[in-house]
Amino acid sequence: MDMTKRNKLRVRLGLFFAVVGPGIITAMVDNDAGGVTTYSIAGASFGYSLLWALVPITVALIVVQEMASRLGVFTGKGLADLIREKWGIRVTFYLMIALLVVNFANTLAEFAGWAASLELFGINRYVSVPIGAFIVWIMVARGNYKVVEKLFLIASTIYITYILSGWMAGPDWGQAVKEILVPPIAGQPTQYWITMVGVIGTTIAPWMQFYQQSSIVEKGIKPKEYKLAAIDTVIGCVLAVVVATFITLACAATLHPAGINIQFAEQAAKALEPLAGKYASVLFAIGLANASLFAASILPLSTAYTISEGMGWEGGVSKTRKQAPGFHAIYTGMIVVAAAIILIPGVPLIPVIFGSQVMNGVLMPITAYFALQLVNDRRLIGDAVNSKRYNVLAWGCVAFGGLGSAIMVTSMVFPALLGG
Amino acid sequence: MIYLTRMLGKPVVDAAGDEIGIISDIAIATGEVFPRVTALAFKGPDKTPLMLSWRKYVAEFDNERIVLNAARPDLRFSYLQPDEVLLHRDLLNKQIVDTQGMKVVRVNDLKLSESRNQLRLLGAEVGARGLLRGISPALERAVERVAGLFGRTVPEDIIAWNYMDLLERDLSSVKLSVTHKRLHELHPADMADILEKLTPAQRAKVFEHLDDDQVAETISEMEDDIQADVVEDFSDQRASDILEIMDPDDAADIIGDLPYDKAEALLRLMGVKEARQVRKLLGYKEKTAGGIMTPEVTTVTEEATVQEVIEHLRGAAAENENIYYIYVVGPKRVLEGVISLRDLIVSAPDTRIADIVERELFTAGVDDDQEQVADMMSKYDLLALPVVDEAGRLLGMVTVDDALDVLDEEAAEDLALATGSAPAEVSALRGWLGRGPQWIIAWAVYGVAVAGLLRLFWDRPALFLVAAAFLPLAVRLSEEVASHALGRLIERGSDEAVGVFLRRFMVDVAAGAALGVISGLVALAVLQAMRQPIAVSSALSLSVGLTVLALAIVGAILPSVLTIGDTGRWRASSPLVTALMGAGGAMVFMSLTALLQNAFGK
Repeated sequence: MDMTKRNKLRVRLGLFFAVVGPGIITAMVDNDAGGVTTYSIAGASFGYSLLWALVPITVALIVVQEMASRLGVFTGKGLADLIREKWGIRVTFYLMIALLVVNFANTLAEFAGWAASLELFGINRYVSVPIGAFIVWIMVARGNYKVVEKLFLIASTIYITYILSGWMAGPDWGQAVKEILVPPIAGQPTQYWITMVGVIGTTIAPWMQFYQQSSIVEKGIKPKEYKLAAIDTVIGCVLAVVVATFITLACAATLHPAGINIQFAEQAAKALEPLAGKYASVLFAIGLANASLFAASILPLSTAYTISEGMGWEGGVSKTRKQAPGFHAIYTGMIVVAAAIILIPGVPLIPVIFGSQVMNGVLMPITAYFALQLVNDRRLIGDAVNSKRYNVLAWGCVAFGGLGSAIMVTSMVFPALLGG
Repeated sequence: MIYLTRMLGKPVVDAAGDEIGIISDIAIATGEVFPRVTALAFKGPDKTPLMLSWRKYVAEFDNERIVLNAARPDLRFSYLQPDEVLLHRDLLNKQIVDTQGMKVVRVNDLKLSESRNQLRLLGAEVGARGLLRGISPALERAVERVAGLFGRTVPEDIIAWNYMDLLERDLSSVKLSVTHKRLHELHPADMADILEKLTPAQRAKVFEHLDDDQVAETISEMEDDIQADVVEDFSDQRASDILEIMDPDDAADIIGDLPYDKAEALLRLMGVKEARQVRKLLGYKEKTAGGIMTPEVTTVTEEATVQEVIEHLRGAAAENENIYYIYVVGPKRVLEGVISLRDLIVSAPDTRIADIVERELFTAGVDDDQEQVADMMSKYDLLALPVVDEAGRLLGMVTVDDALDVLDEEAAEDLALATGSAPAEVSALRGWLGRGPQWIIAWAVYGVAVAGLLRLFWDRPALFLVAAAFLPLAVRLSEEVASHALGRLIERGSDEAVGVFLRRFMVDVAAGAALGVISGLVALAVLQAMRQPIAVSSALSLSVGLTVLALAIVGAILPSVLTIGDTGRWRASSPLVTALMGAGGAMVFMSLTALLQNAFGK
């Protein structure tokens, strides 16, 4: 290879790594405690037969996240900021309250996942949860964004453990491919559809839009670098779904034929041991611990940033408690109270995870609706608005998610209605 | 008082009494301190946007409606003038820079006032009051009433027009009055503070309006970790121009933080002389005299006369950062002595330098720690300190502004402790409860609510509810103990006699025990009032009391433990200590509760 060519490649790679990050990190955090639980349940209960649903979900995830990142790049502002400027205080206030409650429920679920996965290694939750909360708190409070981002990118690689444990479980590849290409949807029970909706709800979560857009703004990615940011988003979303696929595969290959039903990810890890070997089980548990802690550090931070932005408060980890009281109250409060609730003796973890997913599902179409309105505002982002065709696709995705959430919530609140 | 958020959406009524539309915006003329309202924008029946001259047509107005003095057919509509600003479109909900308070804020509401038949903009409301009103006027009144019960008020936070600078709409084309203070007229240090709070995109917009000199000064004043980011966002050409203008030591700091390729590209674009200086500085270690010195020093030889030196200062050396001290060097730039500007001025022009040179002088070695250097300068009141290598050759000098930055960093670390949460005595229960941030209570309430919801799925006794309510208390107490201990550390340093320690230890533990008994009794009373089984309430109140006592003991020992090893390191990591204590406190409390509950349960 001649020199100029190699240099050009190096410059291009350098540019890519300067832009990459927000999309991949956001998508990786997507496979958090709630996500792992849902994918495990899907695999354990229905084998390979739900895998096909991950294909349209990938498209919807990419569309929703791409719009958020486009808004970030072309306006240089966060989603909460844009909503505040377009719809005013009142709408923003109620949305922020909803986001706080939902993200808090998610944080609770992450600490539950952290506690459960470490209990598999024999570590008591009275030890693991305070330590986890402390790690989460100190990492962000003492590090700067660039360092934290690198840490997160490194943490993302631990998700490979899921791919490994999925592989070790020895799935029937032919059967899996066959059921992806020809979805076996005929004659499935109601529970099948409810689980599918759960998978949609856990994969496309509202906080992800806020978080990805804010990281892009914080990074200062410029419109001319937008293509790279879009590639970052697509890579992230595809990787996230690949990991989700392997989690489902692991459980589909082992737990499903054995007829084991699970309710929580940690049970999946435990159940894998006799069926797929000790290493598959350990890798699964490590993956869960990493995912939970990773998400537990991002959720409170993202919430604190988003709400400060929307309400016009000072925000940022570099500000003192006196300079930014609202920011610190939300950030520290979420971590401490979530960890505390998980420590209450005998607190049930499954309703926590369950509840957080319902809430995600309810809020997702609402935030996606706001994002769609904004991304079609020509005054805001000029020619970067959605094309007509893309709009049809985007509205389709929001409707897909919205309909899914509606079915899921209805089935949870009125289980009798769908015969669940 | 008239508020924009209350007026928006209210009806516009014509002289005939017919409702002809709803208020959508108000325009002001920008040339005055309290700008006049010049036009009314409203939406007609079919959502058509319309605009009217305020002076010509508005007869009456209040927060509920606007009455016009003409009937619908007689109205002549107008257009927005170039020097007009729309309050809703351009200001409400937008971020503005408060050039007086020097921070970035969001406009929650706009306050207007009637004076001599004219409506004028008083200012932008940026505080909690406007936020509450924006959410709902009823909420504002409710909060006001609650605050009134405690003898407090919810104050308004208003920024006047002449202290606002808009980030969004480029007002450079709008004619503004002379009193309007713009961002770029601020001192570079103030401007740096504000720019640090903006997003990269907003920062770039502000930099567009500044010339290279202003940019260089502003960047020099910014926090270290942002400087490199900012420079990276400029085009290479502009970045290198700016770095050239900056003092070489500041420029070297920034270039040192850039990725290798970018740094090389910028150095190549810079002038030969500047680039050489920066490269040299990059060779020295950070946090040493070499790392903070500037190579721009004025040197003369002993043979020169006063007259010659003054000529030299006017000519070649005029651009140097600091010319108060002039260093006298021998062959190979070995430092021999120093003369001050004062010496030069009071001496006759033909005096030889050899006759007035001061040979006794303080110097710093190039690898000396920056703190030592700064301490020395502050102790001996030096404006600059020469830096020499092992052979005594002059390499550069540390100027007082760089030394102040070093001292600032140190002070900031201590200050963070003091302001984060002021040190307090454990026994000062009343003061402590009064001062605790209110958000702790809010979170406690929320925690209880969530725990209550979970109870729907969970059939154990109500123990957890109480535990959740007490937990934030335990955490807060632990944090307080930590900051108390750290406060002691700053006050006293590491030297404390054993006798003093024992006495203080006894006092602290006694106070802790008393506080523990009180908290335990309060907990018991609360639990009994909640009609809890006696086993549950005694277990919980005992663990509350024991947690308090345990924390007090830890707090009494902590300062002494922390002095083992390097005191400065603990001070620097005070948030770590505080968080460790918080987590530890929570852990102790929850474990105790679980243990005791098992013990009493059977």
